[in-house]
Amino acid sequence: MIRAGLRSRVIAGFAAGAFALSATMAFASYEIIRHSLLGERESTAVRAAYYDAAVMRAGIITTTDPDLVALLRSLDTGESRRVLLHRSGEWFARNADAGTTKAVPAELQSRATAGTAAVQRVRADGTPTLVVAVPIAADTVFYEVDSLAELDHTLGVLTIVLTAVAVCTTLAGAALGLYASRYVLRPLVRVEQAAQDIATGASEARLDPAQEPDLARLATSFNHMVDELSARLERDRRFAADVSHELRSPLQTLSAAASVLTRRRDQLDERTATAAGLVADEITRFQQLVDDLLTLARGDQPAQRAPADVAGLARSACRQRGLAEGIVVAEGDTTWNVDRRRVAQMLGNLLDNAAAYGGGATAVRLRLAGDHGSIEVDDEGPGVGPEDKAVIFNRFVRGRAAGTRRTSDGTGLGLALVAQHAAAHGGSATVLDRPGGGARFRIDLPGCGS
Amino acid sequence: MVVSAVLVIEDDDRIRLSLVLALEDEGYAATGVPTAEEGLDAQRDSPADTVLVDLMLPGIDGFECIRQLRRTDDVPIVVISARDDTHDIVAALEAGADDYLVKPVAVKELTARLRALRRRARAAAPDAVPVLRFGDLEIMPEAGEVRRRGEPVSVTRTEFQLLCELADHPGRVLSRQQLLQRVWDYDGGDERLVDVHIGRLRQKIEEDSAAPRHLVTVRGLGYKLQR
Repeated sequence: MIRAGLRSRVIAGFAAGAFALSATMAFASYEIIRHSLLGERESTAVRAAYYDAAVMRAGIITTTDPDLVALLRSLDTGESRRVLLHRSGEWFARNADAGTTKAVPAELQSRATAGTAAVQRVRADGTPTLVVAVPIAADTVFYEVDSLAELDHTLGVLTIVLTAVAVCTTLAGAALGLYASRYVLRPLVRVEQAAQDIATGASEARLDPAQEPDLARLATSFNHMVDELSARLERDRRFAADVSHELRSPLQTLSAAASVLTRRRDQLDERTATAAGLVADEITRFQQLVDDLLTLARGDQPAQRAPADVAGLARSACRQRGLAEGIVVAEGDTTWNVDRRRVAQMLGNLLDNAAAYGGGATAVRLRLAGDHGSIEVDDEGPGVGPEDKAVIFNRFVRGRAAGTRRTSDGTGLGLALVAQHAAAHGGSATVLDRPGGGARFRIDLPGCGS
Repeated sequence: MVVSAVLVIEDDDRIRLSLVLALEDEGYAATGVPTAEEGLDAQRDSPADTVLVDLMLPGIDGFECIRQLRRTDDVPIVVISARDDTHDIVAALEAGADDYLVKPVAVKELTARLRALRRRARAAAPDAVPVLRFGDLEIMPEAGEVRRRGEPVSVTRTEFQLLCELADHPGRVLSRQQLLQRVWDYDGGDERLVDVHIGRLRQKIEEDSAAPRHLVTVRGLGYKLQR
């Protein structure tokens, strides 16, 4: 997840940078262009207004009672300009359109009446408009109302174009960020790959420090770590093998010698026979303990799956423990793709556990639903208390059900092995309450379909 | 009842002594020797019915000892070793051992194995059909003989027993567990035993053991013998 976070952070950073840059550029461009276009438009309008005003003044001055409307009509104003004349409190226009006069703001009107030429931008009928006022004689003001609709449209198009450019630039920034993050993270992906290879058992996977000079230190320490780890694993493996040999040889002598003692029990006096019996029993348990410990010590390898008849395994496990084979109930296909040895040991350990603490197993249920296999072993004993449920699969935890530690052949490793074998299959072991009393141990094994 | 003779080749004095004592108690005529060299001599001079051999021996090691025994003898050989990794087990079986037990072996278990081996050793003369033919293969259960293109093939008793089990069901698949049960008398045994013995048989009876024509593997199920 950290890798994904870094990647999205890089992408977001690049996108934000690109956005800030392109938005600023777009805004500045817009303002400059708008300013210059407006200024140009304004001076053109003012020039035209002054010219028209001069024409009007000439007409008014040279004639005693001039036809103001005709004069206004004589002006060449084009389509966008409309002209007005305010004389002695009365408006004159080319046509009888009173609407235009409303465009002239009161403030401008009063300034012009006072004898000052002025320009003002207003909004008339939703269109931006430029009003130029030129006083041409006493109590006579010439107005030109110039529509800026075209300029407004131009600026609108400009806004769209600049926004589009900003959006594209932001996206391009994000894409660049994506590329950059990929590029930067590529060596880390190689590290991840190597780590994954090692996790799946390819302990010889290493990184080449020369390949990524920037990550040379990481690669070197990574390799060092892997070397150390595999050396430690190898030491552990060798230790397990050594322990195995060193303990097994004397146990062989003990086991064979104990069998001689057991066989000659009748020839021994009572005390000696009792002692010999104790020795023989404890040797059996010691043997089991050594086997379980060694299995646990090297049990972290993945399960070696092959099709196996689990119903047959369960029946044979029951048979070996003197239980009726009829307690095995199977649902669905009983040929599962599992590690035979591990499943056999799980079944055996659960049956032994039920015998030691639950008064003996009463049912073994096997169910294959789709790809998912489940094994349940029921007993009708006292069940497992809530505080025991959490720790029952730990090593050397023995049942506290009866409040006393019973003398049993158990090693305290049986259920830990069950949990480990289940985990080797990518599954799990749990303990539940059996409906009606007792304990129900359940093993879930995914990927069992053959 | 004929007393069965067992030769124990084991370098650890205490293990050897305890095994000999326990086996004698169980009614076997057991002899113990500490080295492979002495074991080979003993077997040549007065052949035992079964040989128990440890793998780690001074001088000639257990693997070589098994190979040398096999050169002249089809006596059942059982490995008793503290080593239990696949590599050692397969190597010992490939050298010619009939069974592999990991120390410590309970005496009850050991005698059960020895009985199964003796049963097999005797099973060479059942009330069977005189000759079973599989293409160029001829199996004579009664005579305990196998011929390929008329030439006798030397097989061990266990290999022969395995071949007879498969030949009894021509063209039918027998699972590894079924074979373990019928040939080795194992209830839930190590399937590597079957695989290695099948491999050994193929080298003897097949033209090309890598591409077997008669003794074929049926993936996920087991083995079958076909024409």
